[in-house]
Amino acid sequence: MTTPTATAPSAPPAADIVAQATAAGFFPPRHPVRVTRVDELVPGVTRLAFRDPYVAEHARPAQFVDLFSPDPLRPMPRPFGVSEVDGDEVSVIFAVIGKGTADLARLEPGDMIDVLGPLGRPFNVREAAHYVLVGGGLGVPPLIHTAQRLADRDDVTCTAVFGYRNEHFADRYVGRYADTTLSIDESEGNVITLLDRHEEALLGSGGKVTILSCGPLPMMKAVASWAAKRDLPCQLSMEQHMGCGYGTCVLCTVDTVDGRLKVCSDGPVFTREQLGWE
Amino acid sequence: MANVTSTATMDKPAMNPYEAHEWKHPTVVAGVTWKNPVGTASGTFQYAAVRWFYDVSQLGTVCTKGVSPVPWEGNPGVRTAEGPGSNINAVGLQNPGVDHYLVDDLPKLKAAGATVISNVAGHCDDDYAQVVEKLADSPADMLEINVSCPNVSHGGMSVGADPDALYRLISRLRELTDKPMIVKLTPNVTDITLPARAAVEAGADALSLINTVVGMRIDVRTGRPIIDHVTGGVSGPAVLPIGLARVWQVRTALPEVPIIGIGGIDSGEKALEYLYAGANAVEVGAAALFDPIAPLRVARELDDLLDDRPELAAKLAAGRTWR
Repeated sequence: MTTPTATAPSAPPAADIVAQATAAGFFPPRHPVRVTRVDELVPGVTRLAFRDPYVAEHARPAQFVDLFSPDPLRPMPRPFGVSEVDGDEVSVIFAVIGKGTADLARLEPGDMIDVLGPLGRPFNVREAAHYVLVGGGLGVPPLIHTAQRLADRDDVTCTAVFGYRNEHFADRYVGRYADTTLSIDESEGNVITLLDRHEEALLGSGGKVTILSCGPLPMMKAVASWAAKRDLPCQLSMEQHMGCGYGTCVLCTVDTVDGRLKVCSDGPVFTREQLGWE
Repeated sequence: MANVTSTATMDKPAMNPYEAHEWKHPTVVAGVTWKNPVGTASGTFQYAAVRWFYDVSQLGTVCTKGVSPVPWEGNPGVRTAEGPGSNINAVGLQNPGVDHYLVDDLPKLKAAGATVISNVAGHCDDDYAQVVEKLADSPADMLEINVSCPNVSHGGMSVGADPDALYRLISRLRELTDKPMIVKLTPNVTDITLPARAAVEAGADALSLINTVVGMRIDVRTGRPIIDHVTGGVSGPAVLPIGLARVWQVRTALPEVPIIGIGGIDSGEKALEYLYAGANAVEVGAAALFDPIAPLRVARELDDLLDDRPELAAKLAAGRTWR
């Protein structure tokens, strides 16, 4: 049930603060950008695109952006993984779960919103490998961007293994980039069902296989366990209630074997060994 | 959607916060000159994160996150929620300990040219004393004693809300250091002038106020508190009037003590309100969660606002206050 909307009629104003910061050798602060598209993919799930040349150029797989509600009564940033980059346009996909996300879902092309980013440590995808992207629910958007970045390379292959509650809202996006897309919804099983069912095809090629995962905590623990039993490297992109998003407030921590680390700036990507998920 | 606001562009003259700037309006707090009256508030500043966004030596001071005698893990689980115009935090003073601070953050900040306030945390009087002893010979410019954190089970606010306990603690710490010592006060008391007076009588050189206001949110889908610690400390634009009233009350009761005003400051104009309430300087806290460069922007805006207020600017530069 996609509701297409027109793209913004005019170019955004020059983002002076971004130019000023980068000219001075600093990372851009919070800056205004123009919304270009807002699509409801399925009821309660929105894809929002905005024009941001800096984020578009610099975002790497699993990195996220802080978006700010236009309502000053809701000052906290909302962190979302970048889901796709198209030229200087950046998109995110999110579920409307509260008033802040509802504010963002009500935006229209042409509106301005504030953005900070890209933030966080990305997936390590330097090695030539078969990358298996295992995502669940609203954890799939950063994996779409990961598939997009991997699609430009000829030394990797990429399989998306996505689990949904019901509607397969992200298949058509990841399908543009992944070599193979496997997906399932709760009527049939979950991502572990798919991994088991396709194990031979996923692992049988003989090359190096790396699992990259993002999704609900129980799913990621199950994925890490599946990877550990087969001695596969596994990187997991974590979620936590966040404050600043850039490492200053220490509100979004996760317990690791190295102690309590910040999800936003020590992560969001951690290996299964770091998390102690064997 | 009409009326979309953007803090990066809202009601601001065109100003490049990164260009070289000659600071025009210093202030003096307990004998220490700040190049401008704006610092960072403890707990909202981590050099390793902020250094990528602006030159921290441009601020009046940098107040670092509370350090304890040994590393503290802080509180587990969800530590934050949003309130109307506010953030609620329950970090629980996670920090790598004073020994790490002395070889990492502090020397790096001094090398970067910052004027540094080292915030001191403890679970008991001995904890505070151990940290102050170690900082006494350090390059820290000022110490700030955190007797107002609402998110630890011992120490913190439990000391700061009890004037007798506070007097005992500050008297003991006074013996350990000649560095200018600021005591950071909690607003979660009926009469803030009582702990304020106790701190000053025990030897505090200055007061900073306010720390966060105790608050909480509940998730109506589950009926449970959002933050695992149940309550946290509220900060952000919503607490501006609370902080201003506390500064006004303490200034009225104690006309001479230097005061650093904190609470809800995200613009030069709000900083100016604190200066008119009787503060010598201000610190910017939660605003840095909403924009990394907020402290720098506030400092630049205030520097220009003080151009038009020469009497106030002159008083601050002489170590005095508006009222």
